[in-house]
Amino acid sequence: MINVSNLRKTFDTIEALKGISFNIPQGECYGLLGPNGAGKTTTISIMSTLIEPNEGKVSIAGYDLKKNPLECKKNIGVVTQEIALYNELPAYDNLLFWGGLYNVPKLELKARIDEIVNLLGLTDRKNDKVKTYSGGMKRRVNIASALLHRPKVLFMDEPTVGIDPQSRNLIFEVVEKLHKEGMTIVYTSHYMEEAERLCDRIGIIDNGEIIAQGTLDELRTSGSMKETVVISFTNLTDERYTAIVNDWNDLQRFDDAIHFYSMNIQGDLSKIILKCNEVGLDIIHIDIRKINLETIFLSLTGKQLRDK
Amino acid sequence: MIKLVKKDLKLFFSDRQGIMLTFALPIIFITLFAFIFGKTNNSEEGKLVSLVHSVAGTSVMMLLFSVAGIGGSLLDEKQDGMLKKLLCSPIPPNHILFGKLVFANIISIIQLSIMFVYAWLVFGLDIMHHLPSLVLMIFTIAFACSGFGVVLASFAKTRQQVQGFSTIIVMIMSAIGGSMVPIFVMPEIMQKMAVFSVNYWGIQGIYDIFWKLLPLTDITFLSRVFVLIGIGTLLNFIALLMFKKNILKIV
Repeated sequence: MINVSNLRKTFDTIEALKGISFNIPQGECYGLLGPNGAGKTTTISIMSTLIEPNEGKVSIAGYDLKKNPLECKKNIGVVTQEIALYNELPAYDNLLFWGGLYNVPKLELKARIDEIVNLLGLTDRKNDKVKTYSGGMKRRVNIASALLHRPKVLFMDEPTVGIDPQSRNLIFEVVEKLHKEGMTIVYTSHYMEEAERLCDRIGIIDNGEIIAQGTLDELRTSGSMKETVVISFTNLTDERYTAIVNDWNDLQRFDDAIHFYSMNIQGDLSKIILKCNEVGLDIIHIDIRKINLETIFLSLTGKQLRDK
Repeated sequence: MIKLVKKDLKLFFSDRQGIMLTFALPIIFITLFAFIFGKTNNSEEGKLVSLVHSVAGTSVMMLLFSVAGIGGSLLDEKQDGMLKKLLCSPIPPNHILFGKLVFANIISIIQLSIMFVYAWLVFGLDIMHHLPSLVLMIFTIAFACSGFGVVLASFAKTRQQVQGFSTIIVMIMSAIGGSMVPIFVMPEIMQKMAVFSVNYWGIQGIYDIFWKLLPLTDITFLSRVFVLIGIGTLLNFIALLMFKKNILKIV
């Protein structure tokens, strides 16, 4: 559905994209994950025809973006980072306007608006002016405005920035529903839990380059990263620790706790507990730390995904 | 493009403050100037000239402020991400500009029409006997001014800058073009400079209709019409170039 090949973009002296490539098959939800300034928005902006790349090729729904931008535009919906709505107009009029730009017949458009505002939980407030809405409600209308022409591809550029948990969950449910219905979605975020929950595959972008991509499991294994089980004891002594070390190499002691590292923590957990019992250790707490996107990102780039 | 114009009209008529500034404020100014200038003239002709000057001068000046505001709305749309979203849609980018220009023309025509109807109803300005010339003049003044706001917006970065620029430029054009003080009482050098102002051509065209009583086919009157069309064409052309060069730069 989407083919991106060797995309390069330079702004003055800053190389925003350094030749990125990826393919997204129909119906996939692809997450583009990276810190601020990594190149996510530049990539989305090029794919949604807003800016031209210096080099590279993009095709969407079988149309070359450079040769046939109009057909590409008809097939995409764009949820921008900004809440691009007319505050002085009711949500319904906003949707009527944005949907009208795609030449959806008026009767059909009205039916689609009713359906979408219902899906997004806005039916009761659809005739209120947008300026009276909360940030989360505005974000929901912003998403609705990108769906009225039933695009084949949906670009969502950080659609949950600055919203309440209720709206965030509603947005997740909508994305999941669209995904189930077969829509191809490109989702950028710097919230890993969103990408983990929503995306089939994830591309990690940093400094204008895709440094890793694949499913979450593929990313976990590709980095040769190990999961950790932290076990705390009441009676950890040097002798007992030495007895454990003799059987298990990959571990570290921190006061009354031992960190065990493993590629397959679920398979190894029972062995570890058995060994601890053998040497007479009394376990008071077990904490399993699985590999998530945060740890993958950290191991790949050496930095946190979000500023803390 | 029609959808864009309809949206702008809807937004305009949902904004009470905008309506007051566009329609009520010029009426207050016309009333004020008509009384002030009317008091200084005792003859019938003098009173008529005062009234025509008040209506013509105020209308064109206030119109320029209105279209500057419309240009500013383009920057608001850019700042709020609406322009980005419009550019992602299948409408040709130029239609965004043409939509604004058509909207500016519509508002200008309504604003000028209200001014003259008000002058007719309250001060007895005889618009009924000069309707074809007046309609032609209203349309050409509206066209001449419509591109002004977009040109201003393309040189500015924010609406506040547009407001600042527009106040300075409109006041200068109004001062040299005869919106504030009638051109015929100004020194000769000022009268020569006045031709560089859109206000001058609009005000002279309105003088031709109501004071000099020139017919629609008169060459002097028509020359003013053609100059106004020329100004409008030039401003719209610059607006188109600047829109592509500056306003569409969104990332």
